[in-house]
Amino acid sequence: MQSKLSDTELIEQTLAGNQAAYADLVKRHQRFVFTLAMRFAKVREDAEEIAQDCFIKAYRSLASFQGQSKFSTWLYSIVYTTAMTFLRKKRVDTDSIDDENAIIQLENRPSGYDVNNAENKSRSFYLNQAIEQLLPDDAAIITMFYKGEQSLEEIAQALGMEANTVKVKLFRARQRLKEKLERNLKHEAKELI
Amino acid sequence: MNSIEEILWNYIDGNCTAEEQSIIKSLIAEDEAYRLKYQELVSLDKEFSAIELDEPSMAFTYNVMETIRNENAMVPLKARINKKIIIGITIFFAVTLVAMLVMVFASVNWSAASVPVNLTYSVKMPNIDPGKTKIAVEGFVFFDVILALYLLDGYLRKKALARQA
Repeated sequence: MQSKLSDTELIEQTLAGNQAAYADLVKRHQRFVFTLAMRFAKVREDAEEIAQDCFIKAYRSLASFQGQSKFSTWLYSIVYTTAMTFLRKKRVDTDSIDDENAIIQLENRPSGYDVNNAENKSRSFYLNQAIEQLLPDDAAIITMFYKGEQSLEEIAQALGMEANTVKVKLFRARQRLKEKLERNLKHEAKELI
Repeated sequence: MNSIEEILWNYIDGNCTAEEQSIIKSLIAEDEAYRLKYQELVSLDKEFSAIELDEPSMAFTYNVMETIRNENAMVPLKARINKKIIIGITIFFAVTLVAMLVMVFASVNWSAASVPVNLTYSVKMPNIDPGKTKIAVEGFVFFDVILALYLLDGYLRKKALARQA
């Protein structure tokens, strides 16, 4: 069962040496942090590594959290920088095995039509599929705006951008998402016919 | 200039001024193109809000907390001791020593040189049995050697472990 205490209260308890309070914080934010990591990494194992790394980094620098912004905003800024560093490192590591990586990525992608998955192919399935096809930045902004309870200003703070830039990016991301969703649905309809 | 879509998204997100809001509201009511686009965007907004979050593995929280616990356990003792406590103890002893020295020097009678020294006291040395003393000294040296070997062993073990890590 998750704690009913606020993030600030849990942080205070953690700083006072109560590690169980931090476990509650992790439980509270893990789904969103993991989802955000998935937007960048696209592979579950990598996303889990990024998300774990974020919570460990946040724990180490919890004393420096001033409480001027929401804990979630602060945490998402850590997710963003950690994911970026991870992707940069991964790009360097896999430069020589690009083709192999592409095959793995293709294997991980949901297939066009799968009899076993047919039941699950609701509109939300296609929406998630369309999000996966977006650029990491677009997918992250959409996720933060709709699921992270973050305002444009807070997203801007987490991503280290201007609020106006985020506003423009959100607009474009929505357009791209809409296009991808329509394309996926059209493709599926053709396959069924 | 903003497109209809951009204007409507701003309206849906609530990023407009009150004046802009009333203008857009009337545009939606009167203009068919605005009304249709607005309906489309509202349904998209609703759909985007229903995005499902991914679930990490069951052991996620446990793994995070375990890593934190291991990290804490690996912090050397000297890094965990609060430096303020050490500084406090140092200051306490320094002040005590200085106070004692001040008291000692203040109580010394510097004119004592003129006092005649009486050397008539006879000092009696304790009667020590040389046989018993030898056993005691040998025992003491033996204990010291064992202690030194024990400490050396501990030191070398620690060094070997640090090298392995």
